[in-house]
Amino acid sequence: MIEFKSVKKIYTGGIMNTCALDDVSFSIDEKEFVSFVGHSGAGKSTILKMIYAEEKPSSGEVLFNGEDITHIKPKGMPLHRRRIGTVFQDYKLLQKKTVFENVAFALEVSGYPNSEIRKSVPQILEIVGLSNKAENYPHEISGGEKQRVAIARALVHRPALIIADEPTGNLDPISAWGIIQLLMKINKLGTTVVLATHDKEVVNNIKRRVITLDQGRIIRDHSKGRYAI
Amino acid sequence: MTVAAVSILTLALLIISVILVISISANMGLKYVQDKIDIRVYFKGNVEEQDIMAFRSEIQKYKEVKAAEYISKNKALDDFKAANAGKPDILKAVEAVEENPLLASVNIKAANPEQYDIIAKSVENSSYRDNIASINYQQYKLVIDRFNTTIKTIRKTGAFLFVLFSLIAILITFNVIRMTIFNHGTEIEIMRLVGASNNFIRLPFVFEGVIYGIFAAVISIILLYPIMKVVTPYVVGSAYVQIIQADFIRYFVLIFIAQLFVGVFLGIISSILAIRRYLKV
Repeated sequence: MIEFKSVKKIYTGGIMNTCALDDVSFSIDEKEFVSFVGHSGAGKSTILKMIYAEEKPSSGEVLFNGEDITHIKPKGMPLHRRRIGTVFQDYKLLQKKTVFENVAFALEVSGYPNSEIRKSVPQILEIVGLSNKAENYPHEISGGEKQRVAIARALVHRPALIIADEPTGNLDPISAWGIIQLLMKINKLGTTVVLATHDKEVVNNIKRRVITLDQGRIIRDHSKGRYAI
Repeated sequence: MTVAAVSILTLALLIISVILVISISANMGLKYVQDKIDIRVYFKGNVEEQDIMAFRSEIQKYKEVKAAEYISKNKALDDFKAANAGKPDILKAVEAVEENPLLASVNIKAANPEQYDIIAKSVENSSYRDNIASINYQQYKLVIDRFNTTIKTIRKTGAFLFVLFSLIAILITFNVIRMTIFNHGTEIEIMRLVGASNNFIRLPFVFEGVIYGIFAAVISIILLYPIMKVVTPYVVGSAYVQIIQADFIRYFVLIFIAQLFVGVFLGIISSILAIRRYLKV
């Protein structure tokens, strides 16, 4: 589904050029659950951003379903994004919208009809366990719940892939584990999940494929990996 | 800031409207004068009608000449009588003279007012010059020249001012809209992440620009009439104020549509420029 071919990323500027990714190659199959681990600055986020085409490699290729997305045209961008759901550490929810509206927002901007929105959003809220919070605003719910809203929003247009960049970074261990379990449940339902984290507990409990990064290089890629740096 | 954007847009629109009204009026004035002017070539009393007709057909061959009308002695007398119908003294004086005192003439209208000089010169130098008593056209030259220079000055300064204020208006509106965009940064980021098309993201901000443009158009059409009243006498001389004000009322709808169009256009340009960098991939 995703394939990186000797991808390099060099950030120019400052006194020295920073090499964020150095000759990174890997591939991820459909329905996999892959965790990227490593210290801050190891290149986890850069890899994730390249998958949803927010960053372009300095050299090398990124393929998505066999299609080169490093040269994606601005017009093709929205369609590419609609195949992917994204979840972030800071939730990125709209404070002035309710939980329901936040989730519906993802459908609205893609031009789904209202009837579809009224049907899909409650279903997704049911899956993430927030049916009773639909009319609450983000500031009225807990961090774990906010992240569930973000996951619901990422899922609602039924993407083939969920990208989660440090989704548990702001959460206590119990909420964090809840979020990871939710991602695993989503994965079980058939969605590929790519997770970036530096949470040792989380990684060791998932017991799925782990790719370890250090200073922009892949140093380990184990199918039932553990957090070991 | 919104006030600043709308008021500078209004200013740009007012400038273009004033220019529009004045140049419409000046054009109409010019046309009016142009229709009245001609070159009158008077022939000596002893010249035969067929010679005059020959002159007329020759002069009609020039491409500069739009029309050449022969006015016989009798026609000239009739016209003169008609023009002075209310003045019995003059009519009596004319009848007292036994022979028709008026001369036959050919009225020449040029295709382009700037060509009267050429036509007059070629008539003066033609083989018919011995038959010609006088050529009459000088008296209108001043009026035409004045109209022409006025129109040219208005257009030049107007275009310059319009471009200048349009640029300022775009710059300010651009910044105002950019602030709005900045306030909606998270929203735009999320829109991009969930795959909103660029047009979908752009729309609300373009709409903001359109609203500014519409507001500016409405305000400037309200302000335009009093401004025209004050400004026109200085620009074109008080003699034309009446015409201009009449034209203004006649072209009111047209001017408003032009203002709306330009205002909305400037607003859209500003907003598209403002959001451009936020949509970069």
